[in-house]
Amino acid sequence: MFYVVGLGLCDERDITVRGLEAVKSCSRVYLEAYTSILMVQKERLEEFYGKELILADRDMVETESDDILKNANKENVALLVVGDPFGATTHSDIILRARSAKIPVRVIHNASIMNAVGACGLQLYNFGQTVSLVFFTETWKPDSFYDRIKENADLGMHTLVLLDIKVKEQSEENLARGRKIYEPPRYMSIPQAVSQLIEIEELRQQGILIPEKTLAIAMSRVGGGDHERIVCV
Amino acid sequence: MDKPTNIRNMSVIAHVDHGKSTLTDSLVSKAGIIASNKAGDMRFTDTRDDEKERGITIKSTAISMYFQVDKDDVSSIKQKTDGNEFLINLIDSPGHVDFSSEVTAALRVTDGALVVVDCVEGVCVQTETVLRQALTERIKPVVVINKVDRALLELQVTKEDLFQSFARTIESVNVIISTYHDEALGDVQIYPDKGTVAFGSGLHGWAFTLRQFANRYSKKFGVDKEKMMAKLWGDNFFNPATRKWSSKSNDADGKPLERAFNMFVLDPIFKIFDAVMNFKKDAIDPMLEKLDVKLTQEERALEGKALLKVVMRKFLPAGDSLLEMIVINLPSPATAQRYRVETLYEGPMDDESAIGIRNCDPAGPLVLYISKMVPTSDKGRFYAFGRIFSGTVRAGPKIRIQGPNYIPGKKDDLFVKSVQRTVLMMGRYVEPIEDCPAGNIIGLVGIDQFLLKSGTLTSSETAHNMKVMRFSVSPVVQVAVEVKNAADLPKLVEGLKRLSKSDPCVQAWISESGEHIVAGAGELHLEICLKDLEEDHAGVPLKKSPPVVPYRETVKTESSIVALSKSQNKHNRLYVKAMPIEEELSLAIEAGKVNSRDDYKIRARQLADDFGWDVTDARKIWCFGPDTTGPNLLVDVTKGVQYLNEIKDSCVAAFQWATKEGVCAEENMRGVRINILDVTLHTDAIHRGGGQIIPTCRRACYAACLLATPGLQEPVYLVEIQCPENAIGGIYSVLNKRRGQVFSEEQRPGTPMFTVKAYLPVMESFGFNGELRAATSGQAFPQMILDHWELMAGTPTEKGSKIEELVRNVRIRKGLKPDIPALDTYYDKL
Repeated sequence: MFYVVGLGLCDERDITVRGLEAVKSCSRVYLEAYTSILMVQKERLEEFYGKELILADRDMVETESDDILKNANKENVALLVVGDPFGATTHSDIILRARSAKIPVRVIHNASIMNAVGACGLQLYNFGQTVSLVFFTETWKPDSFYDRIKENADLGMHTLVLLDIKVKEQSEENLARGRKIYEPPRYMSIPQAVSQLIEIEELRQQGILIPEKTLAIAMSRVGGGDHERIVCV
Repeated sequence: MDKPTNIRNMSVIAHVDHGKSTLTDSLVSKAGIIASNKAGDMRFTDTRDDEKERGITIKSTAISMYFQVDKDDVSSIKQKTDGNEFLINLIDSPGHVDFSSEVTAALRVTDGALVVVDCVEGVCVQTETVLRQALTERIKPVVVINKVDRALLELQVTKEDLFQSFARTIESVNVIISTYHDEALGDVQIYPDKGTVAFGSGLHGWAFTLRQFANRYSKKFGVDKEKMMAKLWGDNFFNPATRKWSSKSNDADGKPLERAFNMFVLDPIFKIFDAVMNFKKDAIDPMLEKLDVKLTQEERALEGKALLKVVMRKFLPAGDSLLEMIVINLPSPATAQRYRVETLYEGPMDDESAIGIRNCDPAGPLVLYISKMVPTSDKGRFYAFGRIFSGTVRAGPKIRIQGPNYIPGKKDDLFVKSVQRTVLMMGRYVEPIEDCPAGNIIGLVGIDQFLLKSGTLTSSETAHNMKVMRFSVSPVVQVAVEVKNAADLPKLVEGLKRLSKSDPCVQAWISESGEHIVAGAGELHLEICLKDLEEDHAGVPLKKSPPVVPYRETVKTESSIVALSKSQNKHNRLYVKAMPIEEELSLAIEAGKVNSRDDYKIRARQLADDFGWDVTDARKIWCFGPDTTGPNLLVDVTKGVQYLNEIKDSCVAAFQWATKEGVCAEENMRGVRINILDVTLHTDAIHRGGGQIIPTCRRACYAACLLATPGLQEPVYLVEIQCPENAIGGIYSVLNKRRGQVFSEEQRPGTPMFTVKAYLPVMESFGFNGELRAATSGQAFPQMILDHWELMAGTPTEKGSKIEELVRNVRIRKGLKPDIPALDTYYDKL
């Protein structure tokens, strides 16, 4: 059996009871660690689950999925995903692969930012399309998210904007040459996100993200109890 | 030096062994730097030991000289001048094709060129190459026909034959010049009757232009000097009986008349040669008296060639006539920069730097182009050698050092540093100087570590770069070097850095498999570079691999099916096809005629008109590759794809590396067009970042190439061999053995020499010189110049073919898996 287990938002204890049982039954447990990160280290998870975890980076999940799925039809294997398996980042690909290899798959859901965003006080029912905001580079400034936000705004809906994280990313040159040399990890801070949004607004001039008129709520460490930060501007 | 109108910057260019350095000696001796009796033997500008040993010039060398023109002649100068004192900055350049890059660097900093042509061998392949280079840089040529003594002494030609041979040589130079008609430069063809051609012998130290003879005779005949010059060339005959000029070769009675050139110019020279060489002592003295040549007692005692040399040198001193020709006919910086600014400066023609350059203004913003690095006596340090186009350079103030990759407004490849010292380059010496104004050639100390090979120095924040130099040769021969003693490795690395700095053309890099590769223009060039590396730059014993040749990967057909690659997260798909680009277009791109920096609309028009492209396609060329300038194109032919421009950057980056390391052997690609047919992308930018698209695009390009019958191109030399008739058989047999193809064999009129031209793969050229020498008992001298890339027969994807074997060897050498990757490594199923 191949389990895809949602870990929830905050620390090792956010896992569901069903999830924990699944993990305990597994011979190999992978922790996906590139689309999002928990607020605690891998060691704390290992201690709590009583299992050794194998860190799976982007490369491993996307290109070496056969290794992950090896023998999963005979023994139990789990892939731990921060948040929900079908949340902000979809892991549909590996599930499809498992299916085609005739491996039974079970998904164990959990909370994700996609629903926890309700903590800010806005109605979950009124959220439109979710977009992500990536790190801009000198020459690469994708601004198509602006159109999505506009579509949402035109329909009177809120937009959940996910901020980019870069864990184990390669530089352009290394990517092109297929070399596995990674850049240091980076997380987008809220001031940076705001400045990028304003930059695009200045470029597009369509009045969707005018700093004076737009309500923006920044949220970080949602579900983290005392560490939770929700700021309105 | 402070008067730009009285400066002449010129280079001496020619085919190998036509006597540049020897002739330069005559000029140098005129300036009093070396004794005049040594001129011709000393080769002052050949400063390196190996240059003296081999008798060839390897590095170009600059000398500054002072020259005073006769006051009467100042009026003949057709441009603004100030007094009759001139500063001549002369650069002696190497003639061997392997060192053409040195010539390019020399031409960039000069405005005029003295083209030396051997009167027996005539215009050779390298004469043509350097002349073309000069003309594209808008450099005005004057010609000196050298080694006239050889024609007289060895070949014993008649006067009329000699005249015909001169005329033919001049004609062939003019044929080359006339193909480069340039409005801004005006007519630069050469005419003996206008004084732009000199005849002489560098070895014996004499030379003349028609001006000297016109001077002598204008008084006698009472004719104007300019008119006299016109009479002394071409079909002008003098009838001594009637004392009348005529344009017919027969007089009224049908008696043949002698050509004026033969009668007035060649006759005295022939007589002197005859008298001296045949020891007619008593005939010599009256002749000398007539010609107003005075000899010392010692010199009178000389005999034969030595006497001839002395007499001729006194009669027609080479230094005077050549320097005079240079001063009168070549442009000053003030004149030249007015029309050269357009070809030199990248920025707009109306910014302060461009105006400074155009006016050659010592008070304008500093603009200085460094064309090469010259090693100093201090090991590992270099003089930055270049030309001041505007402003004044002095030690102290901070200046901007802009490398070739500098883009105005950005900070890449930019340093702000100050010059420590400024020096004048004087052949083997340097002379410190306080400051130096526009129009001069200069050496700078203390900025070598901020420049790789060349660059622009400026004081203006808005200045763009000077255009980078285009070399006519490229590094096509490579060797891998390693140290014999592992502890010496750091020295090798440091040495390679220095080597690549000291030579405009050599390239050094570390290959994927960890080897240190040095690439040069030819076998000789590489040999010299490695010697320098071993003895000088690194100073450690080295092991060298046998030379290898780079190939170019290309495709022969259009991809048989659409190549599809999916991104790792499976959210994005790219559909592409590869197809070959016509050879003419590849060449045009390589020559810079079709340029990645052109305005895309103009470029599209050009592609449509000249190469039959569809205009819509041509407008959507995303990029050139490799290095954003190469002869491969990435073209967007999609229709209405959302977010496409957001992945453009990623695709461009992928294409650069895909074309740099092709699919078969990781060699550069050439002549490949990749069409992006369709793209499916995830709506959210985070799932189609560079991390997803770059590898996908690269794989898609590779898959498309594998589907399009990949092919290999190999570099081919044009070989020109001069030899006597009996050596031709030997040449053919050597060429046949090495896959050479002879395409022309001609006898040079009036000489027993033959010129054989052939194509020879660079691969087969190693050791060619030696074998040829052996087969023709040293009578044949080949010159090899990279001519084109030739498509090899077969395709590497065919198992067991010769070309597959070759690719396999390249892959093994590079430390790759021996097999070419299978299609499914890159091709994804839907």
